[in-house]
Order: sequence, then structure tokens, then C-alpha cells
Amino acid sequence: MPLLEIEDLHIGIEDTEILRGVDLNADGGEVHAIMGPNGSGKSTLAKVLAGREEYEVTQGSVHYDGEDLLEMEAEERAQEGVFMAFQYPVELPGVSQQNFLKESVNAVREAQGKEELGAADFIKMVREKSDLVDLDEALTKRSVNEGFSGGEKKRNEIFHLAMLEPRLAILDETDSGLDIDALRIVADGVNQLRDSDRAFVIITHYQRLLNYIEPDYVHAMVDGQIAKTGDKSLAVELEERGYEWLSGDGVAESKASEGNASENGAATEPEEAAVA
Amino acid sequence: MPATVQEELSTEDRFLQAFEGLSDEAKNGTVEAVQGRRRRAIEQFEALGFPTNQLEAYKYTNVAKALRHEYRIAPAEAAPQASTEEVEALLLPDLDAHVVVTVGGRYSEERSDVGALPNGAFVGSFAEGANAHPDVFDAHYGQYADFESEAGDPEQSAMTALNAAFAQDGLFLYVPEDVALDKPVYALHLPSAGDEPLFAQPRHLFVIEENAEARLIEMRRAPEQREHAPGSFTNAVREAYVGAHGHFDHYIVQDEGAGASQHTTFDAYHETESVFDTLTVTLSGDLVRNNLTITPAGEFCESHLNGLYLGSGEMHVDNRTIVEHAAPDCVSNQLYKGILEDDATGVFNGRVHVHRGSQRINAYQSNKNIVLERSAQIYSKPELEIYADDVECSHGSTTGELDEDAIFYLRSRGIPAERARAMLLGAFARDVVESVRSEPLAAWLTDEVGARYGAGQALGVGS
Amino acid sequence: MSTAETEYLQAKADQEYEHGWTTDIESDTVEPGLDEETVRLISAKKDEPEWLLEWRLKAYRYFDRLTDERDFYPDWAHLDYDEPDFQNMSYYSAPKEKAQYDSMDEVPQELLDTFERLGIPLEEQKALTGVAVDAVMDSVSVATTFQEKLEEAGVLFMSFGEAVQEHPDLVRENMGSVVPYTDNLYAALNSAVFSDGSFVYVPEGVTCPMELSTYFRINEQGTGQFERTLIVAEEGSYVSYMEGCTAPMRKENQLHAAVVEIIAEEDAEVKYSTIQNWYPGNPETGEGGVFNLVTKRGICKGDRAKISWTQLETGSAVTQKYPSVILKGDDSVGEFYSVAFTKGHQQADTGTKMTHIGENTKSTIISKGISAGVAENSYRGLVKINEGAENARNFSQCDSLLIGEECGAHTFPYIEVGNPSAKVEHEATTSKVGEDQMFYCHQRGLGEEEALKLIVNGFCKEILAELPMEFAVEAKELLAIELEGSVG
Repeated sequence: MPLLEIEDLHIGIEDTEILRGVDLNADGGEVHAIMGPNGSGKSTLAKVLAGREEYEVTQGSVHYDGEDLLEMEAEERAQEGVFMAFQYPVELPGVSQQNFLKESVNAVREAQGKEELGAADFIKMVREKSDLVDLDEALTKRSVNEGFSGGEKKRNEIFHLAMLEPRLAILDETDSGLDIDALRIVADGVNQLRDSDRAFVIITHYQRLLNYIEPDYVHAMVDGQIAKTGDKSLAVELEERGYEWLSGDGVAESKASEGNASENGAATEPEEAAVA
Repeated sequence: MPATVQEELSTEDRFLQAFEGLSDEAKNGTVEAVQGRRRRAIEQFEALGFPTNQLEAYKYTNVAKALRHEYRIAPAEAAPQASTEEVEALLLPDLDAHVVVTVGGRYSEERSDVGALPNGAFVGSFAEGANAHPDVFDAHYGQYADFESEAGDPEQSAMTALNAAFAQDGLFLYVPEDVALDKPVYALHLPSAGDEPLFAQPRHLFVIEENAEARLIEMRRAPEQREHAPGSFTNAVREAYVGAHGHFDHYIVQDEGAGASQHTTFDAYHETESVFDTLTVTLSGDLVRNNLTITPAGEFCESHLNGLYLGSGEMHVDNRTIVEHAAPDCVSNQLYKGILEDDATGVFNGRVHVHRGSQRINAYQSNKNIVLERSAQIYSKPELEIYADDVECSHGSTTGELDEDAIFYLRSRGIPAERARAMLLGAFARDVVESVRSEPLAAWLTDEVGARYGAGQALGVGS
Repeated sequence: MSTAETEYLQAKADQEYEHGWTTDIESDTVEPGLDEETVRLISAKKDEPEWLLEWRLKAYRYFDRLTDERDFYPDWAHLDYDEPDFQNMSYYSAPKEKAQYDSMDEVPQELLDTFERLGIPLEEQKALTGVAVDAVMDSVSVATTFQEKLEEAGVLFMSFGEAVQEHPDLVRENMGSVVPYTDNLYAALNSAVFSDGSFVYVPEGVTCPMELSTYFRINEQGTGQFERTLIVAEEGSYVSYMEGCTAPMRKENQLHAAVVEIIAEEDAEVKYSTIQNWYPGNPETGEGGVFNLVTKRGICKGDRAKISWTQLETGSAVTQKYPSVILKGDDSVGEFYSVAFTKGHQQADTGTKMTHIGENTKSTIISKGISAGVAENSYRGLVKINEGAENARNFSQCDSLLIGEECGAHTFPYIEVGNPSAKVEHEATTSKVGEDQMFYCHQRGLGEEEALKLIVNGFCKEILAELPMEFAVEAKELLAIELEGSVG
């Protein structure tokens, strides 16, 4: 049984169907990348997995370690080892990182039957894990995300990931808005956190993150469905050709050749698309 | 209409009658500065009556309506007693202080423990202080909380006048020129026990002279064994003077429990390059109205006024602040935060008034509220009144519920929803709590806020 | 403030009011004084139906009762002026020849000239294309342009008097429904003695094909101006309406007490813009000038309705008005954008009231106050979230700019929240024109006046952008003229 098992998942919000039958299995040790254009539903999938309540599951199921994930409260999911790095991490003025993480780490540890972390061990862990993403230790003492730069917020998310040691880590467009140095730091952090028990689901718009984090599987999401699954070469292909050719039940080649450049701005020539 | 033999007295009339019935000792047994004002004060009160919400300054708080009881008005002849155990239970842990205690508005010599003071300083009873320092009273008493010249806002003077008519006792703090108190003063105000609701009118005077320094922590507490007779009302007036280069750091915690109401007036006046800080924390009470007026009268003054109000039950808390920038080159900063639940009502009405010619004023005013339940209400009225052009003044007011995105973020890190709410409420109050310079008080306050919302001690300040 | 700035202000204060001339035209003006007879006389002159006379009389009796009370005069605003003597002014004045003109040809040349001199030609061939104008002189509408074209679209745009005659049911049903005569002293007075005004009706689903505009001109001495505007926008309709005002220089104060009512049904949108340039009085002595005491209110009756007020207030000795929106329909929207410029001895106490009743209602308030000379400028606004207004949102921003050491700028917001799901944010700042901004401009070669003009324009930019295009230019020019003498 895979760690994460998504079957025919349909999701709607206020009468609009966003996910229209998603199937995906991810197991420990695997890195899955989900790529897709804006509005394809990839971030919705991340939010649903993390437990946002405004979405309605109209069909299908999600199992995590054999349990019905959709039945679990957001905090329960986190306690059971599901982690999401937010696309837009929330600022929490007045909530110190230290207190926040102490609460968070111990809530997760308690749920997993582990002992509460002592003060000294906690401080040691903060130091180790913040080094992993090159996070200024001063930031671990400030209010959560308050006044952080865009890059600092994203690194802070990976720092939380490292602290909470989840079994399933979902990264929702963690690469967006990062310059190349920050991107590398984030990717290095993730690579160090890869291990045989942990699954990663990386949601991204661009292929460039995947230059640094090598995925085992790449899924192309179009119009609320996984239109194609492949290995890392698919990411390169998507970057070059865009997504048009995948829409409309796989008969998109002709459409792409009608001269639609890729949506995300890559200068795909019509000829190239037609050739492929 | 059923015939009544005797016309019922209005609430105001009862006070007028009580004034006429004051003993000679109560009327005239003190210094001229105090007794000389009584007659004019009661006349002023008679003319104004208790404030109703017809007055703009009391738009959201009807004091007259809260006075539904027949009060014991006449001042008690002697201080009612509290036990040593009661007082000890209410001291702040780890606070080394000059301790003064009032019971039912009267100074308690027996329970106070002032200890040794620097040369010339006085910490103790208002009544005694008046006799010991008549010159200080002449110079300062009634000068700031002045019912006769509340020129800017005569509406506010009724309660001040009523207090001035009856004022007998309270605290007197005097720190002469160039003297710094070595320890803070801790003032514990206890209600008087009894079945009859008391209308207490404590009067406090704090004089910090040039280049002098003091810290005063006042707490109004009502321990379980000393609950108020329902409907008790306290009409307190405080005056503070801070001389040039002086520093007065003041705190007041209002936590007298349901069943008691209070109206407080605090007028502070400070001179060139002095610093005046005050924090008002309101944790309980039926109706609590605080009128705080600060006048930085000399150049380069710094005034900080902060507030935290946690409303629950039927509590109605109204903070009215006025900063009179009468001199140029001053800075004032105010931050009032409120959390309201149940049927509680919170009111903030702050005014920054920059006088003509008071250039280069930097004034900031912020009011933030969290409403937890539909039945709770918030009225926020921050005002800027500015007559000088070279100023930087701003205010902000926000009201809303807890941020759902923030709660989700915490939950998605494994923190249960209830706990997430508690953490966020503690975090909301945190910057006000952090403004407290006395560590024992900051620690106590952190625990109070944490306990209120179920967050325990994990919200530790500064960690 | 630098010496140059001070001198410049002096120059500005000395600047004359551009529209201070009078028109020599014979008027039919009733004797000063106010009683039931005055009300009957006005109603008779306008040949009104019985129900309207009755309504006026009720309003008059209410007004009369109010004025009998001690302290009846509303003095809570941050304004200092002598209350008008209601018995010492005339309540009706109309150009004599004829109260109503059947076609533009009948309008006397003096009147046409008057409006042309104000930059509002009434002959359609000369008029701004895309703008229909109703011109009101003293108390009476003298001409309405483009009526035929509007009728084709089904839009009714005419003087209030005409509407009473031609569409009595529409008027009767709606007038007083948003601003009842019991609302305040001046609403009562207006309801009793109003002489004319504008009426707009936009039927279901119609987008009004052009901007509608009313120009008000007070001419006659010793008269008050009391017009009413009523705008009814049916389901799914849209209209943009604009008013402008000027008056001659008079030594005594003139009273302008208008009432504006807007009704927006489901999915309707009404945009109401004002450029108010009444005579502000003598800048040095404060003598004369218009008392502009106006009640303006709209109701978003249906779901998703929207009412937007934009105002540029530069004139009047005293301005007191709070264009308001009652957000009754779910998802309805209220907006208030305002620039109030006071100089000389002018006083303004203006702002808005946003009353949230429906769910998901939203309001935005952006107010910019500029105060110079010895003027007083106050923002006063109420944001009220009723208990049932689930998820209501308000954002308010009030910025004040002070120019000179003797003026005042004040902010008095009232925020009342009775629903925890509401989110209400208010921000305000008061400052002078930043020295670093001025220096930056100087360093780029701009003089004192040019720099100030630029900065003030920038300060007001987001408000001016809300004005209909045809008037944005006029507004900018007006602001520039107000701001300085020589730079154009």
C-alpha cells in the first residue's frame, strides 16, 4: 500500500469543479513533481491535502498510510506526518518562532507517541535545522514570518519541514519568487531531507526547481486532471512545449500547432510543437 | 399615577444631600487646597449632573444609567480593614517594592509596608501627605484634574467635580528634585467588604519633581473573600505632575470582578524633556470608564499611553484618552488593544490635539480590536485635531475576528484549533504586555492573559 | 514652512474668486420670511398637486417644532459660524420671464450667457458631447439638454418640477424614502421649501448613454437655495451623475441646503460626482460666502447594487455634508472618495456614513483634506456594521495635508462594529508637504509653486481619477487655480 493514495479525486468550490478526477500514488523515498499552468488545480490539490475546509470533495478518495485523509482535521494530518510548505506563508505577529515550533514539534511528537523534546534538545535541533537551510538564527527568534523577505519566508517553510520531520511533505510553489541563490539553498535543504521513508510532492510552475531537486516522477496537470506522467524528462518537455498539447484528451497536437505559444511565456515555436 | 407621599430623590440629589450632611471634619479637616474647592465643586456637579450618552464624550457609555443603586456615599470615618493574608496573597511575586494599600478608597496604615525611602520622598496616604506637604498640595492639587477649567472639554468635568467635593483620602506620592525611588511603589486597592454598595471616591496625587524618577504599579483587585457588594462604584481621580527631565512610569490593572463599576479620571502634566508612561489594563468589572488626559507642556517630552482590555460577560469598558500637545518637539505614542467576547462592549475614543504653534510633533495612535462573538460590540473613535503644519500624526483602527488563515497555518503545523486561537490571542496582546518595564508585572500579566484564553505560560514574553 | 511657501500662500489667499460676478436678470423673488404661507406660495407657484403640498406642510411643521426647542441648532460639528436667520431670507427666486421653458429657443440670452460664461454652454451644438446638462439658476431649473436623446434610451432626466408634473407616481413613491424630512433640521427645511432640482430615472437594464450633469448657480441676493435631487436606478441599470456649483460674491452669507436621494435596485450602479465651487467668502475677512449644508444619502436596496460618491469640495464658507450609503442588499458596495480643500476662512466638516446591513457588503472611504490659510478642515465619518452584516468589509483612509501654521486639520472617525466576522480598517495621517519631497522637486529644477502643485495633485490623484473623464480635467484645473495663481 502506498503512503499516499489519491483515487479519482473531484474537488469543487462554489459550483465550480476544479479537480476532475485525479489519481496519484506516492510512496516513501519518492519525489513527485506536479507541474501545470495557472488554474490547472495543482495548488488546490495541495490545499485539499493539507486540510483547507472551503473545498468540497464531490467524488473520490485520499488515503494516507491506509487512513482516510479527508476525514482528518488539519492539525491531525500534521500530527500524523503530513506537512505543507505554503505558497504564501502567513505572518503571525507576536507569535515567536521558538514558542510556535516548540508547540508544533511537541504536538506532532506527542501524537506519534514520542517524548516531549527538552529545552536543550530543542535548541540544538533549531540550530541544526536552521543551518540546513542557511536560515539566519536571528529569524528563529522573531515572530513567525513577520517582516521576513520573500526568500526568508520560503526558507523558513523548509526549516519547519526539517523540524517536524514529516512522512509526506508537500511543497506548494515553494520556488515562486525566489532568485537563483535562494532557490539553490531551498533545494539543497530538500535534498538533505530526502530519505527512504519520506515522500515529497513538489508543486511547481517551472522546471528550474527540478534542475536542483531530481524528481522520480513528473505529473503534468491540465484542467484538473493529471494528463501525463513521466520521468524528469517530461519536465523539460513541458517547459519547452507548454501544456496545450496535453489538453483535450490527448488530441492536442493539432491545437498546439495552431500557433499557441506556451502559456507560461516560453517561446515555443509552432513548428517545434508540431514536430513533437 | 399612584400617589407617593414622598417625592423620590434623583441620584444627583442624593449626592447633593450627602454633601450637605458631611461632618465638619470631613469637609474642613484638611489643607486649604482640598477643602477650599469643595463648595464650588459640588455646585459644578449640580449644574452638570452625571454624564449621559447625550454628551459626545460619553456617546457610548451612559454613566448615569449605571448608577441604579442606593449607595453609601458618606466617607467612612476610618479605613475598613483587610487581613495581612489577603494583602500578601495579592502581592506580585518577585516584586521588591514600597507597598501601599487602600481599602474602600481609604489608606490602610496597618497593611502598607512602605519601608525606607530616599531623603525627602513621601509614599503614603493622601490625607496625611496633605498635612505633611501643604505647599506641594497648593502647587499641584486640582491643577490638572481641574473641574473649573476643563476648558477643552467641560463635559468631562462632572465626575472630577464630584470627586473634588468629597475627596478625603487615597495615595500621595512625592519624589523631590533629583531623587530617584530605588524601588517601585506597589499600590493595592481593595474594596471594602459589606452588603451595602459603596460609592467610593479615592483621590490620588503623584508629584515627581525635576529630574526625579518613580515607578508606580497600581492594582485594583477583588479577592474572593472580599467581593464587592453588587453595584459598588468607584469614582477615582488621579493627578500626576512630572517635572523637567523627570520620569514617571505608571501602571494600573483593573480587575475588581463583576458587580463593581468604576469611573477613573487621570490627568497628567509633564514638563520639558520628561517622560511619562502609563498602561491601563482592564480585566474585569461591570462598567469601566477611564478618562486619561496627558499634557506634555514642555519641549521634547515623551508620552506613552497603552491599554489592554479583555472584555467578557456583560462588561462594558470605555477608554477615553486625550493627548494635549501644548508644546513643540514632543512625541506621543498610544496603543490600545482589546479582545471582546460574550456580551462585552469595548469603546476606544482617543484624541490627539496638537495646539497652534506646537510644531514638530510626532503623534501616533493605534486601536486594535478582536471580536470573538457576535454578541460583543466594538466602538472605536480615534481622533486627530491638529493646528500646526509641521507634524507627523497618524492613527489607525482595526476591528475583526481572528485571522482564519493564521489559524489554519498553525493547525497545519499540528497545533489544535483551540490552542491555535489561544496562541494568536496571546500574540495579539503581546506588544502591549511587552511595553511593561517591570518584569514581575509583565510575567503576571502574561500569565493572566494566557490563563484567560487557555494558552498557559507558553506565550512567554521575550523568549 | 519656508518663507517662499508662506509668501506663496499669501499670494494664493489673495487670489480672487473667479465666478464672483452676477447676472443682471429680472427675478421673481418672494419676500423674506418663512411660515406656512410661504410654503403654500412656493407650492402654488409650481402648480403642485395636493399631496406634495401636504408633504411640504408636514415637513414645515416638523421644522417649526424643531426650531422651537432650546438648542435646536445642530452644533456638534467642528464648525464655527453664526446660525442663519431663517426669517431673514427669501425662499424662492426664479428668473422672471418664465419658470419653465418649452424649448431652448425660449431661454433668454442672458441666462444662456450666464452658463456659457461658467463654461457650460446649454445649446446642444456647443455642448460637451456625451454630457446632458440640467442648469439650475437660483431655485429653478432653466434648461435641460439632450432630453430627447435620453428619452430614446428610456432615461428620464428633467427638473424636479417637471417630474412632479409628468411622473408624479415615481416622485411620490421615492421622494423622502432615503432622506425623510425628519432626518435633520436642514432636511426638514429643504422638504418644506425646495423649489426645484433634478430628477433621474433609469429603467431596468439600461445603461444611461451619457453623463448626466446639473449645474447650480446662486444669483439673487438674500436667497437660499434649496434643491432636491432624486435618482432612481432600476435593476441592472447604470448612471453617472455629476453636479457643479458656483455663486456670485456677496457680502452676506447665502444658504444652500440641498437634499440628494439615490435608490439603487439589484445590480444597479450609480456614480455621483460633485465639484463644489460655491463662493467661499472673502479670504481675508471671512465675510460672505455660501453655507453649504447638504444631506446626501443613497440606498443600495438590492443585492450587488453599488453607489459611489466622489466629491471635490473647494468652495463655500462653511461646508457640512456626509454623502452616505445604506448597504441593505447583500454584496452591495458603497464608496466615498473626497478631496476637500479649504483656505482663507473656509471651514469644512465632511465625510460619510456607511451603514452595513446586508451580508458581504463592502465599503471604501478615501478622504483627502488640504487646509491652508486660517481654514479648518475636518473629516467625520461613521462606519456602522449591523449585527446581521456577515462578512462586511470596510477600509478607510483619511489623509490630511496642512499648508501654513494657522490652519487646522482634523479626523473624527466613528467605528461601530456589531458583527465579529466584519473586518474594519481605518488609517489616517496628518502631515505637511514633506521637505524632502519639496527638495527633490527643487533639485529637479521645479520652483516652489510648481513643486507644491505637483505634490498636492499627487496627493489627490486617486480621488480625481474617480471623476468622470469629462470633469477630471475641470477638477484638476480647479485644484490648480485654488492652489496657486500663476502656474496653469
